[in-house]
Amino acid sequence: MWRFILRRLGFFVFTLLLTSVLIFALTRVLPGDVARVLLGREAGEAEVAALREELGLNQPLHVQYVEWVRDFVTGNWGLTFSRPAQDILQLVGQRALNSARLAAITMLIAVPLSLLLGVIAGLTENRLPDNTISVLTLSVVSLPEFVTGIFLINILALELRLFPASSAVSPSATFEEALPSLWLPALTATLVLLAYITRLTRAGVIEELKRDYVRTATLKGLPYRVVIVKHVLRNALIPTITVIATSTGWLMSGLVVIEFVFSYPGLGRLLTFAIDKRDLPLIQAIVMVTVMVILVANFVADLLYAILNPRISFD
Amino acid sequence: MLFFLLLALFGPALAPYTENNQSSPPREAPSTAYPFGTDYLGRDVFSRVILGARSIFLTAGVGTLIAVVIGTFVGLFIGYQGGLLDEVVGRFIDAFLALPALLVALVILGIIKNVDFAPGSWQAAVADQSVLIVIALVYVPIVARVVRSSTLDIKTREFVQAAQIRGEARLYIIFREIFPSVVPALVVEASLRFSYAIFLVASLGFLGVGASPPTPDWGLMVSENRGGLYQLAPWALNFPALAIAVLVIGVNLMSDGVKRVFQKSG
Amino acid sequence: MSETPGTVLHVANLGISYRVGKQWIRAVREFQIEVKAGQIYGVVGESGSGKSTAATGIMRYLAANGRTEPGSVIELLGQDLAARSARAMQDVWGRCMNMVPQDPAAALNPSIRVGEQVAEIVRRHEKVDRDTARARVVAMLRRVRLADPETIFDRFPHQLSGGMQQRVVIAMALITSPQLLILDEPTTALDVTTEAVILDLVRDLIAAEGAGAVYVTHNLGVVAQLCERVVVMYAGEIMEDAAAADLFARPLHPYTVGLLKSVPRLGQTKREMALQTIPGRPPSLTELPEGCVYAPRCPLAIEICQTKPPLETPAAGRLVRCHRWQEIAAGAVEVAYEDGGGAIASAGLEARSPLLHAAEMTKHFAVSRSLIEVLQGVTPTPVRAVDDVSLHIQKGRTYGLVGESGSGKTTLARMIIGLENPTDGSIDLLGVDLAPTVRTRGREMLAKLQMVFQNPQNSLNPYLTVGQAIRRPLMTLRGMARAEADHEVERLLTAVNLRPEYAARYPGELSGGEKQRVAIARAFASDPALIICDEPVSALDVSVQAAVLNLLARLQEEHDTAYLFIAHDLAVVGYLADYIAVMYLGEIFEVGYGSDLFAPPYHPYTEALVSAIPVADPTHQSERIRLSEDVPSPRNLPTGCRFHTRCPRKIGAICEDEAPPWRDDGDGHYIRCHIPLPELTALQKSLLPDHERDA
Ligand code: SF4
Ligand code: SF4
Repeated sequence: MWRFILRRLGFFVFTLLLTSVLIFALTRVLPGDVARVLLGREAGEAEVAALREELGLNQPLHVQYVEWVRDFVTGNWGLTFSRPAQDILQLVGQRALNSARLAAITMLIAVPLSLLLGVIAGLTENRLPDNTISVLTLSVVSLPEFVTGIFLINILALELRLFPASSAVSPSATFEEALPSLWLPALTATLVLLAYITRLTRAGVIEELKRDYVRTATLKGLPYRVVIVKHVLRNALIPTITVIATSTGWLMSGLVVIEFVFSYPGLGRLLTFAIDKRDLPLIQAIVMVTVMVILVANFVADLLYAILNPRISFD
Repeated sequence: MLFFLLLALFGPALAPYTENNQSSPPREAPSTAYPFGTDYLGRDVFSRVILGARSIFLTAGVGTLIAVVIGTFVGLFIGYQGGLLDEVVGRFIDAFLALPALLVALVILGIIKNVDFAPGSWQAAVADQSVLIVIALVYVPIVARVVRSSTLDIKTREFVQAAQIRGEARLYIIFREIFPSVVPALVVEASLRFSYAIFLVASLGFLGVGASPPTPDWGLMVSENRGGLYQLAPWALNFPALAIAVLVIGVNLMSDGVKRVFQKSG
Repeated sequence: MSETPGTVLHVANLGISYRVGKQWIRAVREFQIEVKAGQIYGVVGESGSGKSTAATGIMRYLAANGRTEPGSVIELLGQDLAARSARAMQDVWGRCMNMVPQDPAAALNPSIRVGEQVAEIVRRHEKVDRDTARARVVAMLRRVRLADPETIFDRFPHQLSGGMQQRVVIAMALITSPQLLILDEPTTALDVTTEAVILDLVRDLIAAEGAGAVYVTHNLGVVAQLCERVVVMYAGEIMEDAAAADLFARPLHPYTVGLLKSVPRLGQTKREMALQTIPGRPPSLTELPEGCVYAPRCPLAIEICQTKPPLETPAAGRLVRCHRWQEIAAGAVEVAYEDGGGAIASAGLEARSPLLHAAEMTKHFAVSRSLIEVLQGVTPTPVRAVDDVSLHIQKGRTYGLVGESGSGKTTLARMIIGLENPTDGSIDLLGVDLAPTVRTRGREMLAKLQMVFQNPQNSLNPYLTVGQAIRRPLMTLRGMARAEADHEVERLLTAVNLRPEYAARYPGELSGGEKQRVAIARAFASDPALIICDEPVSALDVSVQAAVLNLLARLQEEHDTAYLFIAHDLAVVGYLADYIAVMYLGEIFEVGYGSDLFAPPYHPYTEALVSAIPVADPTHQSERIRLSEDVPSPRNLPTGCRFHTRCPRKIGAICEDEAPPWRDDGDGHYIRCHIPLPELTALQKSLLPDHERDA
């Protein structure tokens, strides 16, 4: 068990380091002169040189990298570049909270619903319910988030006026304040996850149904319900834990688009904003936080999977 | 699907107006003259949708193709070679796969966009095709992993061992003995990648890091006509969005079909 | 229906069809069987004969695309099941009839404790509470002779060995004392020593329970040793049905005759008599012959066989489906297949010049270390797959290697061919020291060593034609030009009894036996001095297997090629090999000429192995030497004699402490045991069937 955890933890750190190198390369090396990028074309030479000095850009790259990592780890994330300058740690924290709310609601709706749909589709393979669900997940719900988002705005907000069309709440709004404007983006995100989890659950159920132990269980004279619930679902649903975890990656990138569509002040909106404003330090921080969330989700899922699945032995 | 492919090929001939012709009255409702209406600059939406088909196909298609070719090579080699090489490259691939493609693409493109390259330099040329290159880049590890795992499986087959016993060269074994058996999985994966690539191109365009205005990019068109403009000219947004929807669904159904065919025969 | 007392199962006119595309394929036609209490009824046939379909059909459990034809009668204790819905079957399944399937690992739910999997069947049908159920299960696990049933109860399937899993499944099938038991090849996935133990168990338990049983198998030996009555199936129909004793003594159907003669009996060798072979292959169910389904392969087929023969009753308790059974019964015609009679190999066994000498071959597989172990400096013990094994192969002779799974026989072969890099050891081929792996061996050496693999499904590249597959070694290893090679391909195909047109075909169009012939042709293409055959017939049906064995023997005579022939089936090895080595846990324990191995003194392991083989002769009562325990893990080898944990003749502490010495029985027969040979001889009886001993 410990060996397993250690291995997963090693992978976690490795991926994080790799990401940090990548993002560092992207933001420090690729643009060439970072100070110039930050200040824009019109800035004077002296100004650029001063900034370069201030940012420590004249030091060798690996020194810069180590410093950057150290600052990040110690929570010394600095200020945003775009004016008014804000404390990045605080800003990111606040927006991350907003995104977490949205993500939580989405997961709460999407996970049970898609598991249900996936199981139904799997049990009725190639019959009407399955075909209906499959066509739906293949088509309507696998559209890019901004397309579904916009259609939902058109129909539910503008035509039916059920929800507000924009979710541009104050970034510091409390949960109760934000809730009404959360439904529509959550619904959009749900549709995206729905397709993904449903299809994988369906595949899992179909695969398990073909196994010999299903025949054994049936030939014991157990009622169909018991065969399915006790024998099949137990095996079919364990892997979906991993699926749900990997879907956090989807959700994260989905949120970037969705928050953009709905102008919801979450982490994703902050990222598009930072990119727009060429705010390199802010981009770095957001990417690192996002990747960390994804990796933690994966790590937890691996652990859960290992605990729930007796086939994995820990020695 | 086929319909869109034809559009992409013959789009320029079919479009009644050029993409940036602003001669028409702005925000005209759809009519026989402007089947999809005109946008806020007076450009014919119908023409722009038709012309946009080509760019999305080209970017997603070529991007996928490059990823498939490179990914196949990488996957075949590390899968066959195994050992330390596989271990190291495999770890990198795994790490890379933990990062969502859209996010990676968004950040890379967002940063490239803000860098000024000297016009005419090779960097500028690369930056011009950045969406395509980024798509290729993010999909290489995914394709490589699929190819690698099926290579690992086929490598243990006895006909490969028979070739080793004959003292065949590594390249012969990889391409003549193993590669054909990888193809079915590869085709399934490629069609899947293509459908995601379209998804990605559209999303990136929408987020404003893909094509830059005034290119007739569907995602960009949706984005341009959002917000306050929407109420005034819903058609300018709805038609490109619809085009994306139809295309994505089409490609999805196609890739699902491809999968069924190959799983049956396999 | 007519029903004699004591009848448990009465099946008549059973038809089962599967829908494939738009077609209904009739997999089983006019099947009938009558099983009495306490009786084990064998159903034998090759793959595609419909035997398993018939068995699951009796259970009324068919795949979604299957159906029971109208008019079928399935009566269990007088109740008709044929028309019952799956829902209505739920009270029959698990209570009145149970099934023991082929692969116990797949049949058990991997994520539920095995005890619970047995207990739920008790709770479902006997409505008892959890504690009572648990007690019942533990008692049942003890009855199937599982040591420590309390602990086993809480294990997951993957924590048990194959033999233990099969016991659990048997416990599951018997715990509700059903009247009928269907066993579908329950021992096929097991090693022969484990199989023997399980067969004993099945025999004893069924006798004790008084249940009726249908035992489906392809193995005639198992039928002979276990079953009271047998029905022989072919292409979905009954060919013959009789009491086991009658069937083996006086078969009436040409197919039965062919089957019995094409299986090598223990002790039979190519030097005495070639195996009879049944030509052709079973028909595809989509295009069955018009008249007798067996006509295309039957040596007695005449005009009338173009009409369908009825199922007749030649004597009370016998059935046969053949137009000519009277003539066969009267001895008026002889069912003579190809081959048979003459010996294939020339008689002499004089020593030939040495070809290959592998010395002190050793292969240890490293076990990967965890980070903690690396930090602690712990080096886990490696898996010692092959340990210090030497062997000599002579020119043009067959060196047989037998052993159960885990014995290291395949690893040894892979080291010799150069696919596995040995940890230690050296190989000398015709006086030249061989480099360790194929990558480092020269062209000339590569050409001298070739291999035929086990699985015909995988041994040919599905995307290359037969011609391309055979041509390649001709061009790379013998440097032939294209035209010359094409010509040679034709010659090779003819040599393995395939028509030259086969060159243009893809492996997908070939049957298993045909693929294996192509693989043999490919191995012979480089004109090798030694071919390693790794279980070349174990994936083939018996009627096809004989032809491949004869082919191998004949090609050896023609080309003077030596074989290293590896198999788990002692009878098959005995038929083909001149010299045999018995491996167990990475070491050789006995070597000798074929005939030496089948007479005392045996090594205690060989003795157990031979006695475990089910002999295809119901009159033969084999001395039962059964190995308890499972094979120890090669990661954790027993000290002293590696066989001591299971050895029935173990003589005491010396076996646990000291590695046994090699003892020379003369004539190249060596045994590695602490017991001196005269004592062994005194302890042991000959295990061969009587007729073989006399011969
Ligand atoms: S009916 Fe004719 S072809 Fe069929 S088994 Fe009898 S003799 Fe042979
Ligand atoms: S040495 Fe002992 S344990 Fe080994 S085979 Fe001989 S008697 Fe049995």
